[in-house]
Amino acid sequence: MDKAGIMNNSLNTAVIVKLEPDFSEGNVSYNADGTLNRAETKSILGPHSAVASSAAFYAKVKYDARVSVGTMGPPIADFALQQAQAICDADELHLYSDRIFAGADTLATAEVLKTGISKMENGKKIDIVFSGHRASDGETGQTGPQTAWKLGYTFLGNVIDYDVDIERRLIRAKRLITLQGFYDIIEEVEAQLPVFITIDPSYKPFFRTILQRLAFVKYKKEAINRAQDYKRYLKIFNAQQLGVDLKFVGLPGSPTIVYKVEKIPKAKASRKAEIVDGSDSEQIRKVVTRIHEVLGGMIIK
Amino acid sequence: MINTPTTTSSNEGNYYQHLYVVIEHEEGKIIPVSLEMLGEARRLMDDFNKKYSSQEKVVAVVLGNNVRKLCDELILYGADAVIYAESPELQYFRNLVHTKVISQIAKDKKCVAKFSLDYDAEKFRKPRYMFFAADNIGRHLSSTVLAELESGLASDINKLVIEDLEIRHEHKTKGQPIKYNKTLEMYRPDFSGFLWTTILCLDNRNPSIERDYHPQACSIIPGVFQPLKQDTSRSGIVVDYAPILEEKDLKLRILNRKIIKSAVDFDNRKAIISFGRGIKDSPEENIKLIEELAKELDAEIGISLPVSKKPYTVSESINSRYIIPDRVIGTSGRKVMPLLYIAAGISGAMQHVMGMKESEFVIAINPDENSPIKDECDVFIKGRIEDIIPKIIKELREQKILMEIRK
Repeated sequence: MDKAGIMNNSLNTAVIVKLEPDFSEGNVSYNADGTLNRAETKSILGPHSAVASSAAFYAKVKYDARVSVGTMGPPIADFALQQAQAICDADELHLYSDRIFAGADTLATAEVLKTGISKMENGKKIDIVFSGHRASDGETGQTGPQTAWKLGYTFLGNVIDYDVDIERRLIRAKRLITLQGFYDIIEEVEAQLPVFITIDPSYKPFFRTILQRLAFVKYKKEAINRAQDYKRYLKIFNAQQLGVDLKFVGLPGSPTIVYKVEKIPKAKASRKAEIVDGSDSEQIRKVVTRIHEVLGGMIIK
Repeated sequence: MINTPTTTSSNEGNYYQHLYVVIEHEEGKIIPVSLEMLGEARRLMDDFNKKYSSQEKVVAVVLGNNVRKLCDELILYGADAVIYAESPELQYFRNLVHTKVISQIAKDKKCVAKFSLDYDAEKFRKPRYMFFAADNIGRHLSSTVLAELESGLASDINKLVIEDLEIRHEHKTKGQPIKYNKTLEMYRPDFSGFLWTTILCLDNRNPSIERDYHPQACSIIPGVFQPLKQDTSRSGIVVDYAPILEEKDLKLRILNRKIIKSAVDFDNRKAIISFGRGIKDSPEENIKLIEELAKELDAEIGISLPVSKKPYTVSESINSRYIIPDRVIGTSGRKVMPLLYIAAGISGAMQHVMGMKESEFVIAINPDENSPIKDECDVFIKGRIEDIIPKIIKELREQKILMEIRK
């Protein structure tokens, strides 16, 4: 159903994703010293990006939302866009790709993504932007909130559930807060659109009504079809086409640099281990006796 | 031209001074990582002031409602000064309004004038360094504050050093050697736990893109640094700050907050068994073995960070129960200290060890005697999970029967 014309009844969403090393067995390759062998490891849509895509799909099913997906990366990052489209049935895919962007830190990356998001849906305002909780390779978790701040959007982190009141342009969301040495908290918040959401890894969308389940099936099918033909939906932007200020992107726009990378030196042995030959039953028996002692002679249930 | 290193001008201008530590608290109590950050800040700035004959301060920044009493406590734990912003709007953490207030404070000259009497505070632009906690609150807060302050941020840091460095960088210095004094070296372990990356936040001194990047900021992993012992002889200044809040900063309302118990309970169990990539030859079966052993010992089950990335194909029930971030032990997850810790098929990357090293008694099961976990355990059982754990289970059951008979 086309709801164009009634501006306030539509919902425009975007997802920011990332192409990351595939950590699954058979695809990931480690060097002998335990570090990642990047050359031998395949790349896929990051797992947290996939969760963010499923959160956007929820908006598609439930609110008939439009979905755009964007990523910054090399030309092969279009693979991440294709995989995301298969999850969220995106109407539009954006790849921001330029050699100038290489080596960007999170602030310079956020600058590109902010500019890209402003070009989605022909420049119409995006109501909700989703991103993953963090990338599984860089693991900073900074790019999402920094993009949110540059967009001037209210930022909601660690979201595990959300619903939108489209008429009133309000979102209600549940956030998971875990703090060192404290209990966990689920916080329920309400905010005016637009918002920027990072999705908690524990997020799982639920479709409660029959209508939603029917829409789910329909759009899922559409998503698979679209993803097979993803290039039709793909727009590629270089720095010039995006119109970014070159001082604020790539290396020149990055406050931080990687100064050095080293192997973490082996810490001084903090314990002196007794070596036990696992094939010797008598030695295992002694270990088990030790376990009893350690656990305070408690009767093991 | 002679390539003698030139020194950055911003350092000479005294525009950037002091180390600001953003404090987190919950229900009137300081979150431990905040005191850990203060401890490290104190150590760094004591050395700094000695080395550079200066008097730069460790400044704690507290936002809240009716928590002024925390300020005195922070001084006893190492702060020279505390900037305290109070408002009912700051009762609970909200990213938008907290980012606004912290950014205001970071640029406020008047605050600086109150605690740094010997320094011409008119020159002050922003802090030299800034610390945040790498937890659910500080991670996001540090990102948005540094986006507002337009400077650099390194996340998940576990080692800090202040050095005078000579840098030659394609962009930062246009290939010329330039001396960057008082540079904060920020060390972060990578996801594998085997590599350490040092991040620097440097002003652009390349004439074509010249730009100051201060503060040099980072988020710090909870549980890494030692807090100082509370010292009641310490004194300091509390500066009250009246935050300027606009209607548009209050767009987010907290409707309710519910305390929940995590399904994973590491704190109330005497034993924890964790598994890592050593399950790889038969993941499903090995996890079931670990499950069985955990039942025998009434233990909770943990995992290593690499396993949380779901590298193996296992059944959905195993997947949703065990391969979840909540179970990760280490700097990216929880810190545990049970009486008994069994590390099954875990190599012992630093990032994992940080989360379990305070356990009372540690048993490692690993076929590789050279793996770092050997130096972190009391008993090292050489062998694979699938061979060793059934033996332990069998032995536990036999000894249990014996104990029953003896009763």
